[in-house]
Amino acid sequence: MEASVSAAVNVSLLAMSVIFTVLIILIFTIQILVKLMPYKAPPAPPAKKVSASTPPGQDDQVAAITATLAAHMGKRPDEFRIVNIQSH
Amino acid sequence: MEFSFSSSASKIVSSTAFTSLESGDVIMLGVACLLIYLAIWKKFEPLLLLPMGFGCLLANIPMSMMASTDTGGLLNFFYQGIKHEILPPLIFMGVGALTDFGPLLANPATLLLGAAAQVGVYMTLIGAVFLGFNMQEASAIGIIGGADGPTSIFLASKLAPHLLAPIAVAAYSYMSLVPLIQPPIMKLLTTEEERKIKMEQLKPISQTVKIIFPVAVTIVCCLMLPGVTPLLGMLMLGNMFRESGVTARLHETAETHLINIVTILLALAVGSSMTAESFLRLETLKIIALGLLAFAFATAGGVIFGRIMCKFTGGKVNPLIGSAGVSAVPMAARVSQKVGSDADSSNFLLMHAMGPNVAGVIGSAVAAGVFLSLFGDAGSSMDTHAALAPVIGNPEPGMQALATVVEAIKQ
Repeated sequence: MEASVSAAVNVSLLAMSVIFTVLIILIFTIQILVKLMPYKAPPAPPAKKVSASTPPGQDDQVAAITATLAAHMGKRPDEFRIVNIQSH
Repeated sequence: MEFSFSSSASKIVSSTAFTSLESGDVIMLGVACLLIYLAIWKKFEPLLLLPMGFGCLLANIPMSMMASTDTGGLLNFFYQGIKHEILPPLIFMGVGALTDFGPLLANPATLLLGAAAQVGVYMTLIGAVFLGFNMQEASAIGIIGGADGPTSIFLASKLAPHLLAPIAVAAYSYMSLVPLIQPPIMKLLTTEEERKIKMEQLKPISQTVKIIFPVAVTIVCCLMLPGVTPLLGMLMLGNMFRESGVTARLHETAETHLINIVTILLALAVGSSMTAESFLRLETLKIIALGLLAFAFATAGGVIFGRIMCKFTGGKVNPLIGSAGVSAVPMAARVSQKVGSDADSSNFLLMHAMGPNVAGVIGSAVAAGVFLSLFGDAGSSMDTHAALAPVIGNPEPGMQALATVVEAIKQ
């Protein structure tokens, strides 16, 4: 297949347009789904007590747990702090 | 049959692989050892590079019948899984079973970051054409910028099978180097204030939406780009196993044993294609250089679009999450988190970056679909059926009728 830089530029512009079109359609689809089926919070489980010691070298886990808890409790991530992670 | 010690010894010596060993084989054995070294001691994508390196080692031992081109050899059978598009979609099923689309559903606008990061694919396409590759080869090389190994292998096997080995090696090598490649570009393209932006918490998403999402993506994307159905379809099936809540055993199998087994087969098959004839070429060096360009432009595209979103939303989007649009799940999201927390230790971007990160998986699959629509062989499915006819027998009347309908639609 013959290839030139101008043809490659044309293909790139066309392809980026298609990608944005497909993903914008997906965005609207998601927005409609989320509007039609809103989230209903389940009853909160009983809270567990944890000891107060900061886990070293667990930044990723702390970040993930903080973000999940923030979403669950409806607070900003900087409004609380995780002090301990215990594995069982 | 008579045996003498000297004739038997000479026969054994002449039957060793040393007599057939050429300089190209020796260099490739060195390349194999380098891949194994990088996997074990440098921790570069060890799950992929270790079996890939060992496959390369096996393939370059003369007379071993372990190269992908050695018909009847063990790794030739594994290679059929790539040639007939079986292994990459199965990997995608496992990826789907492992992926939580929740962050993407909570902030669907991040899909745009996954789209913007695909600019790396197309800048590389232009660069590859400039360096003398044809459109099909350039497309297969460009998709390295999608930072998605199975997609790269899938597209290369369809558009440029002779470049499969260097493309796979470049894709996986640079994916492992994401923590080194991305941060300088991210810091160069953002200000200190932008990196400190704290994003609002993600809204929770109902389980019903999570269940319907894979079906919606399959219908929307696969109807628009049918060529990508094997990849996206399997990705979404794996995610259905995860979210449906009624297929716990299938979900567990897909995210653990299946993906592990297929990873071994896929990496060995790719390694077996790394022979001296296919790898020791000037094109390989060009592909390695273009791969780096692809990752750099993809990162830059995501971050720049992140800045645009930041401006449009009045500073509610941290541009750093744009770099996660290159796919490379979850490494790229972790890099966003790391660079964000370097600027402000109380900044948690990980979950926000997971949105564009999984959007990047969809985006790179869609990019591959566009290439297949433009440069793929439309009749490949019929060719595959014809190739399998000696194995599975003549098509049944129903299949013949289906083929007739497909032909009629094509015309």
